[in-house]
Amino acid sequence: MDKPISTSTHNKLRLERYIRTAIGIVISAFLFWRIYNVVVLQQHFGADTWVRFGLSGLILGGMYALIAIGYTLVYGIMFMINFAHGEVMMLGAFGGYFTFEILRFIPAPTTASPDLNFLNANPFLSVLLAFVVGITISATAGFYLEKIAYRPLRNAPRLILLITAIGASTILQNLAMLLFGPQRKNVVNPDVLDRAAGWVINVGGNDVLISYTGVFSLVLSTLLMIGLFILVQRTKLGRAMRAVAQDKNTAFLMGVDVNDVVSKTFIISGALAGAAGVMWSIHMGLVNHFTGFLPGIKAFTAAVMGGIGNIPGAMLGGILLGVIEAIGPAGMGIDFQLKDVIAFSILVLVLIVRPSGILGEKLSEEKL
Amino acid sequence: MRSSALDKGLRTGVIFGIVIAIMFLIGFTVTGAGLVGKLFGVSSSYNTPPLTFFVIFMVLMGAWAGITAAARSLTEPDTLKRALTAGASAGAVSGLISAVVGFIFGTLNANAIDPRTYLPMVSPESTKLFLMNQSPLTGSLMLLGVLTVSGAAAAGLSFYLRTHDGVKSGARNITESVRKTIRSEGVARVTNSPYARYGFWLLVAALLIILPRTWGGYWNYVFGTVGIYIILGLGLNIITGWAGQLVIGYVAFFAVGAYTFALLTAPEPHNLTMNFWLALGLGVLAAGISGLLIGLPILNLRGDYLAIVTLGFAEIVRILLKSDLMTEYTAGPRGVRDIAGPTLFGRSFVSDVDFMYLIIIAVLVVTFIAYRLQNSRTGKAWYAINLDETVARATGINAFASKLLALSLSAAMAGLAGVLFASRNQFTGPDDHALMVSINVICLVIVGGIGNIPGVFLGAFALKGLPEILRETENYRLLIFGVLLIVMMRLRPEGFLPAKRPVLEKSAQTSSKEAQP
Amino acid sequence: MTTCIETKQVSKIFGGLTAVNTVDVVVPEHAIASIIGPNGAGKTTLFNCISGYYVPEQGQIEFFGNAIQGQPTYKVADMGIARTYQNIRLFGDMTAIENVIVGQYPRFKANWVDAILSTRRERDEAKQAIEEARRLLKFVGLEGLGDTLARNLPYGAQRRLEIARALASKPRLLLLDEPTAGMNPQETDTMTHFIRNLRDELGITILLIEHDMRVVMGISDQISVLDYGTKIAEGKPKEIQSNQRVIEAYLGPDVTSLTKKYQLRKKQRHDATR
Repeated sequence: MDKPISTSTHNKLRLERYIRTAIGIVISAFLFWRIYNVVVLQQHFGADTWVRFGLSGLILGGMYALIAIGYTLVYGIMFMINFAHGEVMMLGAFGGYFTFEILRFIPAPTTASPDLNFLNANPFLSVLLAFVVGITISATAGFYLEKIAYRPLRNAPRLILLITAIGASTILQNLAMLLFGPQRKNVVNPDVLDRAAGWVINVGGNDVLISYTGVFSLVLSTLLMIGLFILVQRTKLGRAMRAVAQDKNTAFLMGVDVNDVVSKTFIISGALAGAAGVMWSIHMGLVNHFTGFLPGIKAFTAAVMGGIGNIPGAMLGGILLGVIEAIGPAGMGIDFQLKDVIAFSILVLVLIVRPSGILGEKLSEEKL
Repeated sequence: MRSSALDKGLRTGVIFGIVIAIMFLIGFTVTGAGLVGKLFGVSSSYNTPPLTFFVIFMVLMGAWAGITAAARSLTEPDTLKRALTAGASAGAVSGLISAVVGFIFGTLNANAIDPRTYLPMVSPESTKLFLMNQSPLTGSLMLLGVLTVSGAAAAGLSFYLRTHDGVKSGARNITESVRKTIRSEGVARVTNSPYARYGFWLLVAALLIILPRTWGGYWNYVFGTVGIYIILGLGLNIITGWAGQLVIGYVAFFAVGAYTFALLTAPEPHNLTMNFWLALGLGVLAAGISGLLIGLPILNLRGDYLAIVTLGFAEIVRILLKSDLMTEYTAGPRGVRDIAGPTLFGRSFVSDVDFMYLIIIAVLVVTFIAYRLQNSRTGKAWYAINLDETVARATGINAFASKLLALSLSAAMAGLAGVLFASRNQFTGPDDHALMVSINVICLVIVGGIGNIPGVFLGAFALKGLPEILRETENYRLLIFGVLLIVMMRLRPEGFLPAKRPVLEKSAQTSSKEAQP
Repeated sequence: MTTCIETKQVSKIFGGLTAVNTVDVVVPEHAIASIIGPNGAGKTTLFNCISGYYVPEQGQIEFFGNAIQGQPTYKVADMGIARTYQNIRLFGDMTAIENVIVGQYPRFKANWVDAILSTRRERDEAKQAIEEARRLLKFVGLEGLGDTLARNLPYGAQRRLEIARALASKPRLLLLDEPTAGMNPQETDTMTHFIRNLRDELGITILLIEHDMRVVMGISDQISVLDYGTKIAEGKPKEIQSNQRVIEAYLGPDVTSLTKKYQLRKKQRHDATR
């Protein structure tokens, strides 16, 4: 009797898992077939196009990852989807935009070029300032969001928290629309970071532009992710955060100031979203009140894909999602309008095939 | 002691100051003054309202700040001095912030710099009104004065009302006597008698029959929309109010119903021109099935996945409807035109009065179904899942199947609403199905009273009917809804008409007692 | 005698921790059996395995000869196993009588279509459900409190309501997780009496987890002792009381010698007085 006894009920449970896996295999097989058809047999696009898509996917993925970390951190600690997180990112994007606009109006004439403004005279200082402003705005927004909207409901049912989050998201989005108007604003970068400027490499006989803004975003998001990982794994605050994520009550009894940790979590996730927002405005160049909505939902998808509550998972999920979204439409030979559909289909697919995500372990009863 | 009143006053003042500043920046000060004007019967929809109303609006804001500050610093001893300190400081600080903002924009205006490139709602007229038609300096000082005085006065008045027994007991006497009359036996006999109830329902029925004929096309349109939203609300109430699963992308099912119906009856793009009633049934069915399919992979997971997956689904539906890929099948961004109206025995019912009747009948049917489900075995199982899913499972409830049923029924009701919507407008396009519809429905269910059928009616009338009367607030509607959601969740999560549990033990006893002798 | 519930070599592992380790428990029909053991011994985990909340990694659980491990909780409940919880888990925002009506869920067959059409089946069942719920409330001594919200009931009443809800499904096996936790001696006595009554009047089998040894020794036909997930003893109350391993498990191994000394001295004193 030492061997595990296999019975019909065990089989039934396994059957469900098999069905999920089978659906996954069928869908993946179909996708591979489709991609093989389009990419290898039809050869619509040359290698240079794929490199271009892959690169823009990586850059986008870096931003998704930064936002996704915010979702995962908050979900890990509060078990709630911070629905307003995308809007926090949007505020950061506006912070970057307005910093550039203000700096553009400050004259900094030199003898060589009398029309020079501050933005172009000190491009690196300007970008740094933009990030400082954007991150500060978003972190403050995250802090007050938690303090005003979520903290009074700490022990309320989750439905109430979620509805509050939707309310907060609606408020921020519409406030931004009413304040700054619904039309999209062009973000004017310093000339050094012109979106059309960059290194040119040769792939298969064609030139591929690697823009400075893209490389800049990718490097910065990588650095921020490494920094966050160190923060969570190595510092006292990180330990406290992990403790609160495990068990709020025990952490409290062990002398962890839970309110403080939750506040700081919101500040950190807000700061990361703010950085992603400023990157968005520098790299994408268009900002309006709706900027945060789709990246927000997609970053949530990324967080689920990587395993919600799992920080490396969120990073991996974000980058994967960015790449899939960039390559997907071309790879499957469908319209580029449908790239948003791909992201949502992935979300549904992940939840069917592996609800715990790529890196997520089986979640406990309360978390799932 | 005094410092704490001052402290509370300052803090309250900062909050109110920021709120007033934001109101100015989004142009709400003009709208607010317009609303005050409407209260006095002066309509000024498209002009800047007179200064008097703006001053009244500011006085009201200052009074609100003062009363809040006084209430927040309410500790023993409760003295007039404390109340005045709190109120005046709150008013002064909010006034100071407003004055600074007003001064800045007034100066910009004076130097002919138009801030509207970045802040489109800050028009010169709005700034002028904010500064009470004065120069920047005088205007901002007046603003400071008005807010300080009104804050202090309101705080003092609230102190007077709080401490003077005459006023207090007078008010209490009135409420007491009203309560007594309501609860008195005579009234109870009248309200409890079956004739009174029949009379009431007869009156309601008469109104429902007569009103659509008399009040004209505009109000039929407004209340038709309210009716459609009641159906949507009752549907969402099943899955969210009773089963406790939030569905954010509820509009997707609305869209499935509307488009199924539209494509089956419109001459373009498919030219099927199916019978109205058959298409209606198919639209409802399609929406129900889409709910089932969405629920299948998600509902055995716990947590908030359903919320976000339905949101994703709603976006997919909207993008697909808009995309070129589907133009051949769904008419793309232009939308579907010439959708059929209802016909019965060969007679067509397309007039607004007829359609209003159709909506009323649909609302009655859906309400009837909702009432039947509410206290049935199924309804109790939903509520049990809502309260504690683990225990509900251990009590023998198949939570997955129950939630699936709830979602499908919700989706079917949304489908019905979609069919009515498309048929009434004889047109439907992708923009009819924006996420805003979902937010509206969630908001109306919550404001009215989550899980409560009369609450849905109240919510629909308040959130879809009132804005039609207060047209000035149109731009701010979603913002107000957002604020409403947060405030309701914090102060009154059960809504204005909270759901009540049925009385079962007593009723069973009384009925058996009546049966015995 | 028929066997009601039998666990065969059941193990439940959480990560590296074996919470329940190859446990065999056999409970005959109409018996009151207890599971005791120090905190963290795996008692509640075993309960959760039986009620379908956990799937054991190894072993088999048979309920009247049918394997039930791995079945979803609602099916296990449907088969006739009902339970209560260590920290009371009622549907707080429902009234007491509604809690009991929900408890009857598996017994009724009317579905949502019946509810909408208000068929005869629906009406009959609804009436029956209320009658039955009133009867059960009376049985547990909560008559007249039926229309109170469950969360507003006093503690003892909540415990009894939980039992009423469990009984509503007409179970053949009732799992009680610390039914007297947090009760004073008087309430405990009433509860003990009540549990015995359940068995005698309704003829159901009862398996309970309990810390109060007075209760356990008073009503159990059979006691199983768990320690660190392993069953270390089983038998009648008398046998358990004198079992060395049980005493060690509860008080630690050093105590054995102490107890011996104590017993020796007691005997000496006894002899001396004589």
